[in-house]
Amino acid sequence: MPGRAAAERIRKAIAVVNEVADGAGDEEITPTEIAEAIRDCLELKEIEQGSNARKYLGEALDAVSDGMPADFVAMTLYAALGALGESRPEL
Amino acid sequence: MSSAEGRGRTLDEAVDAALIELGESRRNVDVRVISEGPEETVVEVSVIDHTAAPAVAAGAPGNGKADVARSLVEGLLKLMGVRAQVTVRTGTDPITLDISGRDLGALIGWRGETLRALQSVTNVMVGKHLDEGERVIVDVERYRQRREHTVREIALRAARQVKMTGDAITLDAMQAFERRAIHLALQDDPDVGSSSIGEEPDRRVVVGPRKPANG
Repeated sequence: MPGRAAAERIRKAIAVVNEVADGAGDEEITPTEIAEAIRDCLELKEIEQGSNARKYLGEALDAVSDGMPADFVAMTLYAALGALGESRPEL
Repeated sequence: MSSAEGRGRTLDEAVDAALIELGESRRNVDVRVISEGPEETVVEVSVIDHTAAPAVAAGAPGNGKADVARSLVEGLLKLMGVRAQVTVRTGTDPITLDISGRDLGALIGWRGETLRALQSVTNVMVGKHLDEGERVIVDVERYRQRREHTVREIALRAARQVKMTGDAITLDAMQAFERRAIHLALQDDPDVGSSSIGEEPDRRVVVGPRKPANG
């Protein structure tokens, strides 16, 4: 299914951010790693130019560089995941 | 809150013994491991007091931040068209909000994904009322609490096996809060320790023999 890879990659980015928010206490995650995970999502062709998913991913990346709390970044990534679902009703 | 002590050869047997005495199901209880040995496990099983929480929901004085969080989540659920009751779980740190009602499966989502998203949104909304590093935990129908109990039981079972065989065990991939519950469950065990391997979202806990201190 074409959109699955994009959803999985966004979920991976969310998991990284949630690790910071939930503090599993078993790994130190840096903002650079979170930004990398989001950039990995933006590299996918499935996330089309001008789509809401891409817009939210861009906002999440900005939020990381602005030092916003992990929950804010996570919320924006969930919005990207939701936007991906909206554009693909078959999922 | 009524409680009972249960004893058994395994953790499951001990919990079952206490549940029979209380006449309750696992869903409605909290489990605390009192002692655990190769021959016998002893647990204290307490029935969750469902009447205490509504007292807070009705506006009992107490934690102002928790009340703010509760009312914000209530408003959010209303806008989502979800009919549910939000209560503040008593005696917990961090602040924990329990959402209960009928047919709330959609609010939990696949592997708790929607619930986790709801918690993120809640913390963003409540953030300005909280101190630095303070967070609000959101639970729906005690899903999160039950998951924590389940992974804790898995951890203790794995620890028993590690003690018997001396071999490390790699558990299934888990979310951060589940891995945290495992690390906490095993942190005081002198013989068995836990660590995590792999990358999100496939990060797994390894339960293995504790390495002897150097020297």
